[in-house]
Amino acid sequence: MLKTTVPVGVAFLSGIALMVSFFFRENTFVGSISQDLKIWLTIVGGFTLLLGVVSITRVNWQAVKNRKEGWGYKLLTLVSIFAMAIPAILPASWSPLFGRNPGSIYHWLFTYLDSPMMATMFATLAFYIASAAYRAFRARTAESTILLLTATVVMLWRVPMGEAFLNLFPGNIPEFLNTYVMNGANLAVQRGIIIGAALGAASMSLRIILGIERTYMGKG
Amino acid sequence: MSFWEKAEQIDRRWVYLMVGLAVIVPFIVPAEFPISITPESRMLYDAIEELPDSCTVMVVFDYYPSTIAECEPMTRTALHHFWRKDCKVITLSNIPLGGPSMAESVTREIAREYGKVYGEDFVNLGYKANYVAVLSGMGTSIESIFPTDNSGTPLSEIPMMDSIVNYEQVSFIFEVADNATADYWVSIVNAQYGVPMGCGTTAVSAPKYYAFVGSGQFVGLLGGMKGAAEYEMLVGKKGKAVIGMGVQSLVHLLIIALVILGNISYFVLGKHKRRLS
Repeated sequence: MLKTTVPVGVAFLSGIALMVSFFFRENTFVGSISQDLKIWLTIVGGFTLLLGVVSITRVNWQAVKNRKEGWGYKLLTLVSIFAMAIPAILPASWSPLFGRNPGSIYHWLFTYLDSPMMATMFATLAFYIASAAYRAFRARTAESTILLLTATVVMLWRVPMGEAFLNLFPGNIPEFLNTYVMNGANLAVQRGIIIGAALGAASMSLRIILGIERTYMGKG
Repeated sequence: MSFWEKAEQIDRRWVYLMVGLAVIVPFIVPAEFPISITPESRMLYDAIEELPDSCTVMVVFDYYPSTIAECEPMTRTALHHFWRKDCKVITLSNIPLGGPSMAESVTREIAREYGKVYGEDFVNLGYKANYVAVLSGMGTSIESIFPTDNSGTPLSEIPMMDSIVNYEQVSFIFEVADNATADYWVSIVNAQYGVPMGCGTTAVSAPKYYAFVGSGQFVGLLGGMKGAAEYEMLVGKKGKAVIGMGVQSLVHLLIIALVILGNISYFVLGKHKRRLS
């Protein structure tokens, strides 16, 4: 019962309360319940982050303890997590090195280690994209040829050198691309995808509220 | 082995070297090309220009450090734009990894330029988990969702927040995102509370958000580094995005040249015939 009925009941009541409150003003009883639920949701969200930290610590600590392959990296992961988390959690009133303000340990680690590393990881994509485009982006079919041509002209249009090149041709190609490709074909397709995804999300939410969908509890 | 066969089997490290050079050369030999302004960037600029002076705005740092190159020039330029109009700025983030820290660094740096004081002219609310609840909850009360700012100071002790209860006191929201949080700002805050909103996003996400510009839910859109460069030009604060246009131009042209070369070798070597047979 605790593993199935209670979570389904909580999901049902919370879902219905938030859904019904949409039709009530904020200063009503239902409106205030809805606001309380939203505050609870942020608190629960905070605990899910804590759960993530506990989980990653357990998994990595086991690997370090048993000297599994790559245990050095896992140790580094653990050191990194706690080196950033502990000084950030300690109150800034104790020392300027604590907290998250500029000058704190957390801020220094974020600015000079975390941020450049993440930017570097993302920047390496440019190298892989160039190599992959050279090897795989072929005009194999009519559809891939249309995609290839559209991608090429849009890529040209989105940079000043390319746009200067496109302007050498008659017929204001950049304006055509903005009007008919981005605000025409692209916009229509994106709307279809957004509406489809929204309908899917709404039906999935309804399934969860009504207890039909239980995979989030590990049930089939 | 013919030229095309050699080209087909080129070691990928040569491609990496070419990309590396295309990235480095424009920094050594800068070349400035005219940057045209797209209607979406112009619309965003005009909408901010039309805001009343000294109004309250939100600048949302919903991006990870990995996309700083594209997104940070947008937030920087927006802060210049808002503070020229003497707006009160509230910053926040729905990204746990770095959003509040980037907001803190960027706003404080630009605030010094305009002599703005923390707590009187700008506030950093920081991060709070579960963005759907956060965005929706702020519609009733910002303080109930963010009882303290990013440094732990209660909002009740921050003078600027005395007169700001919820979205009703916010004239404009500028959302800079590299992920789907922009969708929720549209569906929750714009659709339900009617707050005018503009968006800056990475080039890869931008096509999706043309739909929201078309529907009027975003007053304008900055797409990738090009969008950021356009905005810098409009505001008259040339920064990293304008400089980055040289790099992006060369890398785009290189990728296009590689794609053309790859397709020529594909057809010259008759691989398309083999595939058909």
